Amino acid sequence: MPSFASGLWENLSHDIHYIWPQILLMAAGTLMLWPLDSWLLPWTKGEKQKWALPTLAILVACLVLALTAPNGLGFSAMYKVDGLTKGFQVLCILGSIFAVLLSQPVLGALQEHTVEYYVLILLGTSGMLFMCGAVDFVSIYFSIELMALCVYILVAYLRNQERSIEAGMKYFLLGAFSSGILLYGISLLFAAVGGVTTNLTELNQKLAVVAADKSLLVFSGVLMVLVGLCFKVAAVPFHMWSPDAYDGAPTPITAWMATAPKAASLAVFLRIFGTGFHNISYDWTTPLMVISGASMVLGNVAAIRQQSMKRLLAYSSIAHVGYMLLGVLSRDGQAGAQAVWLYMLSYLVMNTGAFAVVIYLQGKGEGERIDDFRGLGKRHPLLAFSMLVFLLSLAGIPPLIGFFGKFFLFLLAVQQGFTTLVVIALLTSAVSAYYYLEVVKQMYFKEAPEGEVAPLDPFSKYLIGVACALVIVGTAFGPKLLQWTDDIRWFEKEAPKAAVLDFTGK
Amino acid sequence: MPNVMTGATQLMLLATFLPLLGGLALLFVPNEKREVFQKASVAILVVSFLLSVPHWFWYERSSDAVQFAYACDWMPSLGVKFSVGMDGISLLLWLLTTFIGPIAALCSWGNIEERWKEYYVWLLVLQTAMLAVFIAQDMFLFYIFWEVMLVPMYFLIGIWGGPQKLYAAIKLFLYTLAGSVLMLVAIFAIYFLQQKATGHYDFSLAAFQSAQTVQLIASQTTTFQILLALAFFLAFAIKVPMFPFHTWLPDAHVQAPTAGSVILAGILLKMGTYGFVRFLLPIVPEGTKELMPWFLALALIGVIYGALVAMIQKDMKKLVAYSSVSHLGLCMLGIFALNPWGLKGALFQMLNHGISTPGLFLAVGIVYERRHTRQIADYGGLSKTMPIYATIFMLMTMSSIGLPLLNGFIGEATILMGTFQTWPWVAVAATSGIILGAAYMLWMFQRVMFGPISDVNAKMEDLNFREIAYFTPLIIMAVWIGLYPKPFMDIMDRPVAKLVEQVRPGFHQAELLAAKQAEAAKAGMHAMEAPEAEATPAAEGVAHEASAEAPAVHATGGGH
Repeated sequence: MPSFASGLWENLSHDIHYIWPQILLMAAGTLMLWPLDSWLLPWTKGEKQKWALPTLAILVACLVLALTAPNGLGFSAMYKVDGLTKGFQVLCILGSIFAVLLSQPVLGALQEHTVEYYVLILLGTSGMLFMCGAVDFVSIYFSIELMALCVYILVAYLRNQERSIEAGMKYFLLGAFSSGILLYGISLLFAAVGGVTTNLTELNQKLAVVAADKSLLVFSGVLMVLVGLCFKVAAVPFHMWSPDAYDGAPTPITAWMATAPKAASLAVFLRIFGTGFHNISYDWTTPLMVISGASMVLGNVAAIRQQSMKRLLAYSSIAHVGYMLLGVLSRDGQAGAQAVWLYMLSYLVMNTGAFAVVIYLQGKGEGERIDDFRGLGKRHPLLAFSMLVFLLSLAGIPPLIGFFGKFFLFLLAVQQGFTTLVVIALLTSAVSAYYYLEVVKQMYFKEAPEGEVAPLDPFSKYLIGVACALVIVGTAFGPKLLQWTDDIRWFEKEAPKAAVLDFTGK
Repeated sequence: MPNVMTGATQLMLLATFLPLLGGLALLFVPNEKREVFQKASVAILVVSFLLSVPHWFWYERSSDAVQFAYACDWMPSLGVKFSVGMDGISLLLWLLTTFIGPIAALCSWGNIEERWKEYYVWLLVLQTAMLAVFIAQDMFLFYIFWEVMLVPMYFLIGIWGGPQKLYAAIKLFLYTLAGSVLMLVAIFAIYFLQQKATGHYDFSLAAFQSAQTVQLIASQTTTFQILLALAFFLAFAIKVPMFPFHTWLPDAHVQAPTAGSVILAGILLKMGTYGFVRFLLPIVPEGTKELMPWFLALALIGVIYGALVAMIQKDMKKLVAYSSVSHLGLCMLGIFALNPWGLKGALFQMLNHGISTPGLFLAVGIVYERRHTRQIADYGGLSKTMPIYATIFMLMTMSSIGLPLLNGFIGEATILMGTFQTWPWVAVAATSGIILGAAYMLWMFQRVMFGPISDVNAKMEDLNFREIAYFTPLIIMAVWIGLYPKPFMDIMDRPVAKLVEQVRPGFHQAELLAAKQAEAAKAGMHAMEAPEAEATPAAEGVAHEASAEAPAVHATGGGH
């Protein structure tokens, strides 16, 4: 069938430009799995960290490729590159870069430095990049699974720690379960529109005119998709897995889970609710409002009682997702995406910084518990100051970048008429100040324990320094960020005719 | 708003941000050099004060415009500007802040025994944040500094405070934060309301206060206006603090180091009253009027309850703290009188309270440094060994209870005059707070200074040079204001007139009319019943002022 083959080639040669970053990640990942290290990297024989630098190089190259990818729609209208794709891809890649940097002190200490770790990060990242651009329920589902499988394994990466295995198991079971729900929701929607399409844009048009007797079908479908996605971002009441998974996972992976997969999942959120379900917002606005409000309240209130720093950050991350869902609720997709992106960017920086400090303390056998921060202000003033900056920023105290993210997000939400939710968000963020300050209290108001001060490893030192500087001066660059993100067209209008594979050969 | 900076504006910004810059510079000095921190911080704050003084002379008193103004774009797409400037009200409080700053730093020399670097840096950062709040002319900018203030205060109390410092610090932080986040929602709501009407985004204070926006808000539902007013009210009432939001104050005051108390009483509490005058009244006047009975009731309860609770305190600092609740309740009454006398009196009383209460806290701090107790029962007969101290304490006490010829009297009298015009019975009730004030202050003074002296107390040293040095400016100010308050009254004349016109449009005209009718009645002509027939001498006084001001008010009416 010459016409099929040439058609395939023609389409592929055109569409492949959209996914070079993913191809690079996958190719590099698979290549690294081969026992090639003595041949590929002969100069690093016996060194533990030999895979870190190549991985970083690949991720940086991937960042460049992602930014330079052409805008357009490809792969049978399943994958799209537009502002939303690129913007969130950048966040995912940055998150992965940070995770690799954060892993250095931990992996060395745990004697768990294997190439699979990096391969899984790379493959997981490629899944996230697909998620950012997926515009069809089929591609969305596949890319979510690609991402999730890698994360499951990484959570359970510390094979000889029971906690890590347990976390991985819980995460896997609930994740698989939620994928099932998501898939079931998709199939209901597919049925509701008469089994003709899973493409979000087409679905949107068809759902708007669906017959009245099918409205229950649509509603259940939308609700199940919502539930499935809320599992992925750990929004209340589908958050149960997250504190355990965060607690048990290796800390750099915790930092990674809180940022990169979350950014990708939010991109999917924005894509589905901004394009796919745009016309039927009456079906999902109230449930999503409830979920968003509940996440803020429960996340922030539950964090108060935590003794473990990682669990505290896990609960706070639930609350932050609650805030970001405000952006998803926005009926103005462009502004919503912009606000979520800005918030996620600020969250990425401050959260990574906070985790870097936790990892430093862990390297000394501490850092798990909030008590372990006591006297840090005296023992390590700069580190403690950075942590103070990250925590205040997470609490949304001006003029730090976390305030800027919140400000813009809440401004939008008030404009869109979600004033009650914003009031809840702001009051709960005042609650969040309590538990963040609990850590500050340990650092500055409590006496330091006896013992030597361990030096910071260079990776963490620069990472923390840069993150701290960014958090402090972030708001000053806020105008620039706003300007850039204003200019981005987050949702590119569909190309007039999608390149669809024609199997009939006509 | 001009976007060219004049020399005076530059100086204003320099005076405001110099403490921050100095604080950053001090970060590079090693912690052991205690003296460097002590001297440098005082020097920085004195320079900042000296830089601020010329504005007192440069300020054009015949205008109600925002002066020393400067604005440039910050986030154009959101309408956020870096916009600064002062009117007479902000100028007075701004000067009070630069004035209290060096005193707070100087009084810390003796009682801060560890972590000097952090202490003085936080103190300097706090100073800049407070000064910036008073010059901010943009809601976004204002909100940033309003919240930034919390962080240094949290550390000042949490690290260098008393035994319950952790509890006090977090309570202060959470209370204030919870109040101010609601204000943010109110700001957003007005911002979008305004955008819908004018078509462009604007966070500037001038836009928020413009007649157009105020009208727009007034045309909304009553519920909406009440909610707006409540959101602002809560933020500021917590800061003032008004009953029943005052519970953080005694804790914070008692636990804070002396300088912390001085700044809290001297300036931070004024933020709340300033907020009422600057934001709640001019932006949501109708909503405020709806809630006025409640506000008045809370203010009045604050006056009397604060005084009664102060009466039974055994701890000197707690006594002064509760006296603040009472005094600021009185300020709130003056503000809610919504007439020039009441507002002027309230602003004036804010200034006075910012002089006398820090003085009292300093005085308590001095005996605390020597004996490490604040219990009134532990003292007695101090006037025998510490005559200078007793004299100064006496002056500060008298100033606080409003003895004529000292500053407190002018403020209280003016407030009561103003309140009487609008709410006569409230004024009568509030007088009891003043009487009680005299009772608890004098009683404390008597128990501490007179009577038999114990052996421990007999060994206490009188004030040293440094201590006298930081009391001197306070005493000079107290006496100056008490003897010749006119310059201070003059400077807020126009801004207050403008404010009254914003809150009660046509107020000055009505006053004018009333005065004319009163004159006509006096001349024996056939007089109609005036609408507000309180032809008291006070009202006449206002009317005469108003007649002089009327043209200016109309020329600038609407408040740009």
